[in-house]
Amino acid sequence: MDFGFSEQQRDVQNLARQILGDNVSPESLAQYDGYKADRFDKALWDKLAEAGLLGLAVAEEYGGMGFGFFELALLIEEAGRSIAPVPLSAHLVSAALPIQQFGSAAQKQRYLPGVASGQIMLSAALTEPYNEDPAQPILTTATADGTGLRISGDKTAVPFAHLADRIVLSAKMGDGVVVVLLDPKAAGLSMTPMQVTTYEPQFALSLDNVSIAAEDILASADRGREVMQWLTERTSVALCAHQLGASDKAMRMTASYTAERKQFGVLISTFQAVGHRAANCFIDVECLRLNTYQAVSRLDGGLDASNEVQIAKIWAGDVGHRVSYAAQHLHGGTGIDRDYPLWRYCTWLRYNEISLGSSAKNLASLGKRIAAGEAFCR
Amino acid sequence: MKVEFTAAQDALRKELRSYFEQLMTPELSAECDEAMGEGGGPLWREALRQMGKDGWIGVGWPKELGGRGMSPIEQFIFVEEVMRAGYPFPFLTTESVGPQLAEFGNESQKRDIVPKILAGECLIAIGYSEPGAGTDLASLKTSAVKDGDEWVINGQKMWTSLAHFCDYVWLACRTDPDAAKPHKGISMFMVPTSDPGWSCSPVVTLGGVRTNATFYDNIRVPADAMVGELNGGWKLITSQLNRERLSLVNFGPTAEMFNNVVRWAQQMEMPAGGKLIDEPWVQINLAKVRAGVEALKLVCYKQAWAMSEGTLEMADASAAKVYGSEFFIEVYRLLGEIIGQASLINRKTEGANAMASRIERLYRTASIITFGGGTNEIQRDIISAAGLWMPRATR
Repeated sequence: MDFGFSEQQRDVQNLARQILGDNVSPESLAQYDGYKADRFDKALWDKLAEAGLLGLAVAEEYGGMGFGFFELALLIEEAGRSIAPVPLSAHLVSAALPIQQFGSAAQKQRYLPGVASGQIMLSAALTEPYNEDPAQPILTTATADGTGLRISGDKTAVPFAHLADRIVLSAKMGDGVVVVLLDPKAAGLSMTPMQVTTYEPQFALSLDNVSIAAEDILASADRGREVMQWLTERTSVALCAHQLGASDKAMRMTASYTAERKQFGVLISTFQAVGHRAANCFIDVECLRLNTYQAVSRLDGGLDASNEVQIAKIWAGDVGHRVSYAAQHLHGGTGIDRDYPLWRYCTWLRYNEISLGSSAKNLASLGKRIAAGEAFCR
Repeated sequence: MKVEFTAAQDALRKELRSYFEQLMTPELSAECDEAMGEGGGPLWREALRQMGKDGWIGVGWPKELGGRGMSPIEQFIFVEEVMRAGYPFPFLTTESVGPQLAEFGNESQKRDIVPKILAGECLIAIGYSEPGAGTDLASLKTSAVKDGDEWVINGQKMWTSLAHFCDYVWLACRTDPDAAKPHKGISMFMVPTSDPGWSCSPVVTLGGVRTNATFYDNIRVPADAMVGELNGGWKLITSQLNRERLSLVNFGPTAEMFNNVVRWAQQMEMPAGGKLIDEPWVQINLAKVRAGVEALKLVCYKQAWAMSEGTLEMADASAAKVYGSEFFIEVYRLLGEIIGQASLINRKTEGANAMASRIERLYRTASIITFGGGTNEIQRDIISAAGLWMPRATR
């Protein structure tokens, strides 16, 4: 048991923190507020690629650095700390990782070098309207069409669908689930922009008999569910890592503010009621940190992490919510002023809380596992 | 970073679990229940000596101090397992004062007391609080006055838990009444409870557990009864408390209790049909406990790891103490809700469910550690100042 970072992990952290710190600021983020522009910083994307960070977890033979899921999660934690305007989680975790893990040689050759170089962008359509289990698509169905497929149905909240080169998408096929790499320009696909709380570009997809070539099938009906569970676990943990970075930053921003703001002639940090609320955030963030790292560590080591992922997501939901409101409250009016950087964090904390299952949903699911004897304390 | 146990650590845990299955005889369990989970009885003492003989008490201590040379992580695994087994382990002696004596004690303390601790033959109570000095510990008045080669100790301490069966009190005394700051005039002493000037009277608490008021009437101790430097006691107190905080919130017993309640609810047939565990609200309560225990486990082990690296942070020790102590109360509530009326029934009732009555008792005792070991308000002050760099009010 080792809670320290390896040198490699520290290097990734420092590099990511430096690039994101130098290139993301309240001013740079302001240009995307209210959908004034696509929340995507191409220059930053290219810098991340150049530094090797987009290819962190891509195998060396495809131009990546060949590191593991732990290093990737640390990059996403840093993206959360800066709420960087780049879709790292959808691109790298929900899409590139499953292609690398389950894709054919041709698919890996076709996409992974571009993932690492930043020349292509991938995304994933994980949820359907009111059906948020990516491994159980209901509204999207597939039928065989020669060696390929025809897919019809609806997906919701797909990040960057308009810029992506391919979108990982699951569909129900008989009793099974297929996973495909959807071309956003395919005939029969229409996308409607959605306005999301974070101002991230997201789209509702409607598929009407869209043709999928055999070469774009990532997993056939007998394997698709497993592939979707695999990528959902990792995407959930990526949300936890993003939440960790964002909540840690919101908390520290708050602590600094209370160390500058005076009322009654003294710093407001000297009021115990203020210090204690911040201390509660510190405890919360530490619990989120350790549970996230544990889930990451187990996935990185190829161990079963079903319980640990759910527990981390429960903490991510609860901690994000509590830190967000404590941070706003301790800032007073300043916290909700859009000229001050906190408010954007609050929208992301909310986004990460709800996405891919809230605390309540994960508690219910963990409860079922406990009842089935699958979650005893070791 | 690798949050999983190594194969050797897993093996150690397995070994300890079967060791304690053997050690915890029904007679010993019954004696411990009678002692309200405090220990002190003859079978309890015998078992402690056995652990000492078998080399467990100092499993994570350096070899040159008589331990087995493993790390604080292995030490924590041992304490977790002994507590899981339901043995009231004297962790104040072994996990907090003991290591302090080993690190800061003088030659005679290292020679005479430390080996006895590791042998399970010496028990130490902690003498900090006084009637007028609780959270503001530095205002303590119990005095030690130099007289020739000896110190003469006079005063009264409160909440000296376990003192009625301990051999020594790790006693904080004022040695400089004129110090510029009160905490700079405090020194630590090892005071034998066998001294005729020492006495104690019981204080019975809400949980049924006995604690004590202890009295020090012209007790004369030799110069080498002092631990560390003259007027250097405050540092020893704070580092002892940091160590104590980790032991106070050991998650082992809670993990065990969770597992037991799950097994019980899986089998519990409801008179109206179905199993208790099929109730959605029961599953939610269990899931809340499960998610919380996981966090506590990680918080504890991160600190054990930090101790082995020598990087234990004050804010982290305080965070563990606050989180653990408040979580325990929540656990007893959530699990008590599942058990229902039975969790109100005292174990002395004929046919009482042992697991349920344990929760009945623990719910009454749980408040002790939100203020004991340094009240949580002070811990939160420490966290915001040391963990978040927030300037705090001067006191």
